[in-house]
Amino acid sequence: MEPILPTEESLQVLVADDIQASRLELMRVVRELGHQALEAASGEEALRLIDLHHPDVLLLDLLMPEMDGFEVARAVRQRITGKWLPVIVLSALEGDEHFAHALASGAADYLLKPVSPSILRAKLRQYQRILSMQARLALMVQRQHAIHEHIADAIITIDAEGRVCELNRAARALFALVDSQDPAGLELKALTGMDLTHLLGASEVDLGPSPQSKTPFSVSHNRWSMGHQEFCTIALHDLSESRRIERMKDEFLATVSHELRTPLTSILGALGLLAVGAGGALPDAAMELLQVAKRNGDRLSQLIDDVLDLTKLEGNRMQLNLRPVELAPLIREALSANAGYAQRGAVSLAFVDEVRACRVQIDPDRFLQVMANLLSNAIKHSPKGKTVRVVLTQSPHAVQVDVVDEGPGIDPAFKKKLFEKFSQADASDRRPVGGTGLGLYISRMLVEKMGGTVGADSGATGGSTFRVSLPCLEQTHSGPWILCIAQDRQLLERMADWLAEVGTVEVANNLGAAETLIRRRGLPAALLANPQAQGPAGDFCARLQQLLAPQRVLLISDALNAGFAARYGMGWLSATMATRQEIMGTVGALLAGKNKGLGDGAI
Amino acid sequence: MELFERVMCVEDDPDIRLILDFSIGRMGGFSLCLCESGAQALDRVADFKPQLVLLDVMMPEMSGPETLAKLRALPVMQGVPIVFLTAKAMQDEVEALLEYGATGIIVKPFDPVALPQNIRIYWEHGRGKPA
Repeated sequence: MEPILPTEESLQVLVADDIQASRLELMRVVRELGHQALEAASGEEALRLIDLHHPDVLLLDLLMPEMDGFEVARAVRQRITGKWLPVIVLSALEGDEHFAHALASGAADYLLKPVSPSILRAKLRQYQRILSMQARLALMVQRQHAIHEHIADAIITIDAEGRVCELNRAARALFALVDSQDPAGLELKALTGMDLTHLLGASEVDLGPSPQSKTPFSVSHNRWSMGHQEFCTIALHDLSESRRIERMKDEFLATVSHELRTPLTSILGALGLLAVGAGGALPDAAMELLQVAKRNGDRLSQLIDDVLDLTKLEGNRMQLNLRPVELAPLIREALSANAGYAQRGAVSLAFVDEVRACRVQIDPDRFLQVMANLLSNAIKHSPKGKTVRVVLTQSPHAVQVDVVDEGPGIDPAFKKKLFEKFSQADASDRRPVGGTGLGLYISRMLVEKMGGTVGADSGATGGSTFRVSLPCLEQTHSGPWILCIAQDRQLLERMADWLAEVGTVEVANNLGAAETLIRRRGLPAALLANPQAQGPAGDFCARLQQLLAPQRVLLISDALNAGFAARYGMGWLSATMATRQEIMGTVGALLAGKNKGLGDGAI
Repeated sequence: MELFERVMCVEDDPDIRLILDFSIGRMGGFSLCLCESGAQALDRVADFKPQLVLLDVMMPEMSGPETLAKLRALPVMQGVPIVFLTAKAMQDEVEALLEYGATGIIVKPFDPVALPQNIRIYWEHGRGKPA
């Protein structure tokens, strides 16, 4: 599409008339009005000249031999695509029907012959304005299109059904579409290999024309509407360059940290050896100065580690070695690693473990780092002779590790900034054991990367508690999954304990909680239920029947008996009398599909 | 019972070599062979017959992993623990280093007072095992 701007002053007017005299007369008037005139003596010639010269306006006589004005108007309407050519038909014929016919054939306007110069001038001026406006619009559209085409990011616009409306050049290149290929109407999924929710839900995706040539892209999108139609424009930004820069940055930092650690090794090594008398006995004053140097060397070393961690964490490039682990042994390890530090500060360490075996998905080394941060922090702020306690507790879906000290507590004004970067409660807090101001921030980022949260609180009488919460792993024992429903917590614990060898056990207090579990995990292989405090036993059993085939259900109850259970097709055992052997045996038989002989044989 | 007496350290930084000399040799009481390059270590290993090698990772010319591979190929080094000494301590790097067949890793800066005990643990843990 090439917009041809008509100059404001003059138009190129094609005059098509078979009668030479009236043609020349019309051309004279056109020229007098300051426009350029072209002439055609027939309809055919007019069409040829239109193709050749692209005139701005056509003055067309209606009555011509062979190809008349109506036919020319129709041909012009069909022919012109990029640019509108206003056709003004001329006729001496009286009667509206001719003109109506001409307008219906595609003419824009009409004039009565003989043409009045003043009316022609007014009309031409009118069309001049319209044409110039159109040209400006065309230019604007062309410019917008060019901008869209030249955006370096791949831009995809789709309609409400997820079909492609438009792709810019980068998007066509990304999906290896040739320019002649019209992508309109393509399904987004066919194009990207991903459906819309998946694509928009991810902050980053790997895309490319083939599985072998994929590059990482960030995804952003905007929904918009035009009239009643909804659209979504998706921008895909190529991340490979920024990845390359990140890698360079990482390598640079790794090199810098290596280069810093090498001299530190000699400095700290020499100081450490001097401190234990490897260079001979030192006077007390020298020893005191030596400790200053050593402490600060240690701090510098810590700072290097922290800055390196920080860069990786903030750039989301830290690789965690996540695996299921028991927390308690790790906490003991952390306590023992920090025992020396506590001892030097005359602070005791204690561990209170209130959790039955519970596993979490974490990076053990990084968890130890978090614990070291929290413990050293607590020890640092503890007065001599006090105790730092680590308390491990469990809630339904998480474990909490609390590090509790008996120090002065947290200044309320500072609490908000506690887990931020370079935060230390008091800028003048330059105690000999001062930290880097990054420890709590790094701890928070690490815990969050492991799916947990951190928090801190102060007691009314001083002392602070730093808490790490981590989501519990679902029991990962192999074997079928068994659901236990009961209000009685002891009963649930006993069943969970006994059946852990048979399969994966999950517990629920009521049917609602059970349904939630089932929605999450699918139907259990076996269900044990205690109807006590669950409403009328009959209703409860009826609902259990809807939940699971009754031959997979075992009622555990002292209020009911085998006969009652049999009415619902379920098995029965006593809640208090059944032994571990009986429970395991019965559930085992039930899992094997041998439900006959359950309970006392009443089925 | 075999006594743990001979340790070879390969480290290009002369100051760190001095620290190792103090720590492992003079304080730890080990017979120590200090080498400043992988090539030197390969030269001396047959005569010295180390019971444990402490090997720096980043060295010019022959790197720690390269030296390790060449040492491992020698009959005299069969079943001898090799421990990397490195200033690189990122988790992924540590794992990559262990995959070269090292018995363990000691991170710089290390505690020179605890070092003799630490290498003893590595020796007890790693001696006699095939790489």
